[in-house]
Amino acid sequence: MKKSFLDRLSDRLTELVTESQIWKAIFRHGFPDTDVNRSLVVFTNVFLHLHPVKVRKGALKVRFAWCAGGLTFFFFLVLTFTGLFLMFYYVPDTRRAYNDIKDLQTVIFFGNLTRDMHRWAAHAMVFFVWLHMMRVFLTGSYKPPREFNWVVGVLLLVMTLVLSWTGYLLPWDQLALWAITVGSKMAEATPLIGVAGPFAKELGITPSNDIRFMLLGGTIVGQSALLRFYVIHCIALPLVAAIFMTIHFWRIRKDGFSGPL
Amino acid sequence: MNNNNKSHKEKGGSGITRRGFLSRASQLGWASMMATFAGSLYGGYRFMVPNVLYEPPTVFKIGTLDEFGMGVDTRLVKERQIWVARNEKGLYVLVAICRHLGCTPNWFADQERFRCPCHGSIYDIFGNVRGGPAPRTLWRAAVSLDPVDKQIIVDTGTRQDPDPKGTAEGLFVEEAGREIEPYFIPV
Repeated sequence: MKKSFLDRLSDRLTELVTESQIWKAIFRHGFPDTDVNRSLVVFTNVFLHLHPVKVRKGALKVRFAWCAGGLTFFFFLVLTFTGLFLMFYYVPDTRRAYNDIKDLQTVIFFGNLTRDMHRWAAHAMVFFVWLHMMRVFLTGSYKPPREFNWVVGVLLLVMTLVLSWTGYLLPWDQLALWAITVGSKMAEATPLIGVAGPFAKELGITPSNDIRFMLLGGTIVGQSALLRFYVIHCIALPLVAAIFMTIHFWRIRKDGFSGPL
Repeated sequence: MNNNNKSHKEKGGSGITRRGFLSRASQLGWASMMATFAGSLYGGYRFMVPNVLYEPPTVFKIGTLDEFGMGVDTRLVKERQIWVARNEKGLYVLVAICRHLGCTPNWFADQERFRCPCHGSIYDIFGNVRGGPAPRTLWRAAVSLDPVDKQIIVDTGTRQDPDPKGTAEGLFVEEAGREIEPYFIPV
């Protein structure tokens, strides 16, 4: 059967693209129509290679748990991108931080939308971490050989909560100030490194060298606290969390899916 | 093996084998590497603890004795985070920080109580806990009189914090034991 003009045109264009040096320099595999090429697609791609090459059909069904871990990661990505945009207008200076937030809400195009997305995604991420962990717990997926990944997940939970908490201070309003006053006071009760915690006296911990001081960069919630929280919120914790997420996802590949998502 | 070791010893002549020397050298290497790690760890910690803090001063003057009347004076809460309290015997300064989680309580003159807006701790004029989650009584700051201009000097860095006694009414500290120098100015 003779090919139509459009078919021939599309064949020609496909050949033009896939035979070019640029295409060949990037993709080291043919069309994923054979088993070899399908697996090459996965393990020649830096993002996909964390994913198992082969997955049981049943393990990909999205059922009652809605792939809560995947949604958590989705919200992390939303937070990364909206946070990046917010950073273009927000300055962590006690004299202008609150006004920068007001500017974001009133004078910057889509500023309020970006801020709201950041805020709601933050709430959603905490909520879905909780849902995800509940699913893992109820399906017993924390049991060997996945117990190490459960520990990594608990660390990620703590990072999610601390990210929420550090972001809390940045608007520099009354709510922020007192939330961090209260929260940093709680940190004082940490054993060994908090001034009000066990063994503080024996170790010579004082209000000016304990964990609260390290967090706030001083003894009160002031300029140094705002700056430290900003750096922890925008750089330190997202970086560490991303590294731990990589380990988390890689372990899933190594241990296998426990069941439907 | 044995022959080799012997020949090394004979060649060196000083009793140090090549193997022994290298093993010592590597021990020294490991030790200096660990020392470097420990040093940079300490340096990293020390970097995060500044030598100078640009915070409000903890020692300051608040005026002369006759500027403060009987009862609780709330004028200095916003600026200095303290209340100045006076009774027939003298004057003391309460630190306006809730002992529960560090919020600033409010003074209600009609009830004669400090009440914390955050989690509902209640204190009386002496700083005794009358309700809520506060585990200890309010701090009292050290006070003294400047001999030259007779102004009251407050030092919020030095705080009186006696162990309270739990009763049905709340957490109490014997008032007589509290009204002592340097936390009290008799008038």
